Amino acid sequence: MSEYAGIAVTFVMAGAVAGAMVILSSTLGKKHPTAVKLAPFECGKDPFSLPMGRLAIKFYLTAILFILFDVELVFLYPWAVCFRELGVLGLTEMGIFLGVVMVGFVYAWDNGALEWK
Amino acid sequence: MNRPTTADLTLLVPELILVGMALVLILAARRIQTAPIALVGTVVAALAAAAASIWVVPSEGASGFGGMITVDGYSRFFEVLIAASLALAALLSAKTLDRDRIPRAEYHVLLLLASTGMMLAVSSLDLLTLYLGVELMTLCTIVLVGIQVENPASNEAAVKYFLIASFASALLLFGISLTYGVTGTTDFAGIASALRGRGSDPLLIAAMGLVAAGLAFKIAAVPFHAWAPDAYQGATAPVAAFLAAGSKAAGLAAVGRVALVAFDSEARTLSAILAGLAGLSIVVASIIALSQTDMKRLLAYSSIAHAGYALLGLIAGGPEGASATMTYACFYVFMTLGAFGVVIALGERGESVDGYQGLAAQRPGTAALMLIFLLALTGIPPTAGFAAKFVVIQSAVRADHVPLAVLAVVCSVVTAFVYMRIAVQMYMKEPKQAAPARLPLTVSAALAVTALVTLIGGISPGSLAPWTVPP
Repeated sequence: MSEYAGIAVTFVMAGAVAGAMVILSSTLGKKHPTAVKLAPFECGKDPFSLPMGRLAIKFYLTAILFILFDVELVFLYPWAVCFRELGVLGLTEMGIFLGVVMVGFVYAWDNGALEWK
Repeated sequence: MNRPTTADLTLLVPELILVGMALVLILAARRIQTAPIALVGTVVAALAAAAASIWVVPSEGASGFGGMITVDGYSRFFEVLIAASLALAALLSAKTLDRDRIPRAEYHVLLLLASTGMMLAVSSLDLLTLYLGVELMTLCTIVLVGIQVENPASNEAAVKYFLIASFASALLLFGISLTYGVTGTTDFAGIASALRGRGSDPLLIAAMGLVAAGLAFKIAAVPFHAWAPDAYQGATAPVAAFLAAGSKAAGLAAVGRVALVAFDSEARTLSAILAGLAGLSIVVASIIALSQTDMKRLLAYSSIAHAGYALLGLIAGGPEGASATMTYACFYVFMTLGAFGVVIALGERGESVDGYQGLAAQRPGTAALMLIFLLALTGIPPTAGFAAKFVVIQSAVRADHVPLAVLAVVCSVVTAFVYMRIAVQMYMKEPKQAAPARLPLTVSAALAVTALVTLIGGISPGSLAPWTVPP
């Protein structure tokens, strides 16, 4: 169990530091509230806005199609690294894998996912 | 670790058949939306996969892919059961797809891929392949639950199911990583040998508890059952039937292999965890089922209670307990598919308990079939439900879990009230609604098969014995 002591120490320290910052700044800190200071911090964006802005659903579709190729690349990379050791069997397996992934792409294409309308 | 060879692929012939059919259907999706080709293809693939797992796959106890996938009597039994529930679910959904505006090809592809995941889960010898199989099953069933894109109830059910299922996956993965931390391996045999002869470890108890909790979500055992009633109610009835039958069988198979192979030396602790899950499932689901008026919700609570009963065999442990759970899983799959089949056959009317008023006067055949399934779900002879309950309760008594066995019998009486309420509606009330349409041929065929198994299982319960091989 002793090898887990470090993790426990990290948790305790993280809690202590975060807690100390919140408690110290709320008890010791000076308070000059203005409307801007009291607004929730949202990286410079307006934190409250009515959901009136519209975003075309086709952007999501494109993003999902991108994941298809992204996953493909994630698996291609380790295969490429040990391409020589894996030999012909590895090449065949990769071919089958790419074929299966492409079936999904063909399905999307066939059903009009690539048409920008 | 040995490199996988083409010989290893022969272990996966049933799964490859299902995946192959799924790929063909995906490619042809746009062209077969109106034809019944997808249904025929799915049923043929299911039968071929069952046949392959019986005759094509090599000798007993073979394992491959670096000891991650095996073929033994246990996996073979569940693969055939999963293939049967796939074929029956496909047959049952034949007529409702058009009514609910569900794309045919995609629906069948998801059924096929979910079954592939289930088959992988039941034949895996490693926690990671088990996880992969279970996740493939869950992802496909989430989409199946939400496949009625224009129906808000279906979308809501899918979102709820997705959120709870991803939480469950996290628990399962956490349990797997803790198990790896304790034993240094994810391989079942490796875990068993690492645990042999070492004392109890709090980390190990946490690991087993988390793995059990993650898998309890999949079989919907209390307190991890909350998704089931909503998902079943929001999904179309055939999807609910498939969830209740297939995913429960696969989940039970996974729990069985983990409990009896990987954590065999810690059986005492694990059976205490499982006993808690089983006792809670039986009591809570039986009581909540009393107040249900929606048939799919009622059958969901019924399925939760049945998960509890099925766990009794695994709590007892040993080859006898495993066979009892396998028997229970098999008979349960057929009787629940049958009950859902009648719900599907009656259409809108079948989805509420009131819809069954006077069914016996209007459709005596359908009412009689429903009565058989209700008797089986209650556990009354001469149906398979009695045989199934008898073996699990017997194995619990033999393993000195007498209080749990008594609880199971008492709750069985409570559920009798749940199911007989529907029988009363059918036989002792006057019909208030127009007679339902005649059963479609595909649904009749599926109902005939399920009723036959339910009756044969009740009349000669021993006929299943040669196949219930423990892991």
